[in-house]
Amino acid sequence: MSTILTIPKLEMSMSEGTLAEWMVESGTAVKEGDVIYTLETDKTAREIEAPASGTLIQKVADGETYPVGMEIGEIV
Amino acid sequence: MTQGIVEQRGNLGIEPTVLKAIYGQMARIRAVDKAIQAGLSSGKFLFTYWPMTGQECIPATIAQLITARDYMVTTYRGIHDQVAKGVDLYGMFAEALGREGGVNKGKGGSPHISDPSSGSMVTTAIVGAGAPIANGLAISAKERGEDRVTIVNFGDGATSIGAMHEAMNLAGAWQLPVIFMCQNNQWGEYTEIPAYTASPNFYGRAEALGFRGVQLDGNDPAAFYAGMQDVIAYVRAGKGPVFVEAHTYRMGPHAGVGDNYNAAKAVLAAAKERAPVEKTRALLIDAGICTEDELTALEAAAKAEVDDAVTRAMASPVTPASETITDVFADVASVPQRGHFPLREAEGAFAGETKMMSFVEAVRDAQAVAMDANPEVFLLGEDVGDPHGGVFGTNKGLQKKHGNRRVRPTPISETAIIGAAIGASIAGMSPIAEIMFVDFLGVCLDQLANHAAKQRYMSGAATHAPMVVRVQLGGGMGGFGAQHSQSLEAWLTHTPGLKVLYPSTPLEAKGMLLSAIDDPDPVVVLESMMLLFTQKQEVPLGDYRIPLGVAKLKREGSDITLISYGWEMLNCLGAAEELAKEGISAEVIDLRSLVPIDYARVLASVTKTGRALVVHAAVEFCGLGAEICSTINEQLWGSLKAPASRLGADYAPMAYSHAIETSQVPNAGAIIARARAIVKGA
Repeated sequence: MSTILTIPKLEMSMSEGTLAEWMVESGTAVKEGDVIYTLETDKTAREIEAPASGTLIQKVADGETYPVGMEIGEIV
Repeated sequence: MTQGIVEQRGNLGIEPTVLKAIYGQMARIRAVDKAIQAGLSSGKFLFTYWPMTGQECIPATIAQLITARDYMVTTYRGIHDQVAKGVDLYGMFAEALGREGGVNKGKGGSPHISDPSSGSMVTTAIVGAGAPIANGLAISAKERGEDRVTIVNFGDGATSIGAMHEAMNLAGAWQLPVIFMCQNNQWGEYTEIPAYTASPNFYGRAEALGFRGVQLDGNDPAAFYAGMQDVIAYVRAGKGPVFVEAHTYRMGPHAGVGDNYNAAKAVLAAAKERAPVEKTRALLIDAGICTEDELTALEAAAKAEVDDAVTRAMASPVTPASETITDVFADVASVPQRGHFPLREAEGAFAGETKMMSFVEAVRDAQAVAMDANPEVFLLGEDVGDPHGGVFGTNKGLQKKHGNRRVRPTPISETAIIGAAIGASIAGMSPIAEIMFVDFLGVCLDQLANHAAKQRYMSGAATHAPMVVRVQLGGGMGGFGAQHSQSLEAWLTHTPGLKVLYPSTPLEAKGMLLSAIDDPDPVVVLESMMLLFTQKQEVPLGDYRIPLGVAKLKREGSDITLISYGWEMLNCLGAAEELAKEGISAEVIDLRSLVPIDYARVLASVTKTGRALVVHAAVEFCGLGAEICSTINEQLWGSLKAPASRLGADYAPMAYSHAIETSQVPNAGAIIARARAIVKGA
């Protein structure tokens, strides 16, 4: 079963976030809890951990801003 | 405390098994907090979270001193309270995710959990609003002779709001078995003490109101356990309420995940040093109570419980749109729905002995009958006790007969009155709350509209508030001015979850009030001063019922239907009499019940006459008349002889001037003129 990665809503007023940097290359194996990317909002920067173990597939480029809920990758 | 226990507690100040059990609850709370933050961070969950990180010790400790029989009320920042109280984790996660398997069918979400099986009765998202409701739960325990305590949790921020003061004052006056648990985390949302208050502390406010207040370290399990053991025993023994100020620190932001970014870094770092979960864990190992392996296993078990709950919750279907109108009321048929106009059975003819009664006497008699029949019916409100029996005498003699616990004069505190009625009704009692004037709804509208009206829906019918609110209106009398003469029924009818009755005769006042008292939903009954003393009628003795949602044909006619309710019925019947002299035959329908509304009888009448005029004393703009006319016009378009029309008060506050008041609200002359114009096509 794959796990879809989306831009999270970290606080009530958040509508978009910047995927500052992928910390793991696409196609690499990750374990649940590994930091996979950093997310920046207007309030804070946060390291985002893998919600599941598997192979990370990136679907968007880093350095860009995306809306909350947008699919950015998958762990298969 | 026995010598043995003191020895067992030793230097720790707490029994080792209790400390371990407290940590067990802390570990469960921490596992839930981490799972939520991880789920939100990864985008797996999409809901708003109000983190309680840092406050785990308070509910984890209280859990050792209470059972599921004890009542709890908490707030949206209360996931830790829910976990420790024993709410099933699967049901809790499914609720937060808006799923069918949620403890409240996914209709309330995490800010509105209500789970009577664990004693978690009400969760509110309105700061401070839980305290008045907790009083009502405590009233039920006290009156039933149960030894339950009610604990209402709130943050320090809630101490600034009026509902809290009203609730504390009432609890003190009535010596209720309730604990006001102030989890002082130093922050009111995004604003820190002392920016929002100059108070040196909060527990001191209890003393000012005549009851006990204590200050405890809410991060130290041994000290907090000892303090709460004493507090809970005190309240359970019936010695009155206690306000507990438990000091802690909120590590997270007001809402969202991560650190409290508003906090100064040094302050947050210092708070983390005294955070209870890590400190308690270290203490268990240092004191030789648990090994590292034991605690690791305990934490793994907590994580496994949470993982299993999350997995199953994610598999539960999202609560579907087909659930939209269920749980608004006990019966879906009472919900107003486009194109759905049930014909409810009307009351039959009443047999048996009667007595000549005024409207006031009829209301009094209905309450007397209900109180004799059911010991759980009680009355509360300002001045309701004898000898006055309420400012209009609607309750005269009831306190003398039933005593001051079943007829409870209250402080001037509408929020406390409605909240107490809500809590008692959630526990299954049948309170009747009297609000002296409808104009005072503004000071208790949060309790009525946000809590009483929504409890059944938000809880997915796990709990509901079957209470009655009797409200008097001064409009039409003259001289009461803008704040004692309004007709505010549209506020109520526009709030899903409230049933609204507005009888116009003594016979109906009694029969409808008796139905309202037995109704499973909150019912507001409007009693106009224009009707209370002006008419007398033969009213059956004893119990009889007039069903909700049944309009009454008060005069037959063929040219136009006048549709009204309450005191404007007097004007409509008078107008019909005058119109008859001009050869215009007006039919008059008394709605009696505004929610549920009887469109079946309204539409049947207008189908016959082809013309309709809705009359009310309330402001015409956005009033009930607009709603009724729109339905008539949509349903009967093509067969009408004229569009349905409405006549209400001018758009202005009620004036003190007699000349303005008598002209701004429809009088018989205005009704005659409008009806004549409609019939003659002018």
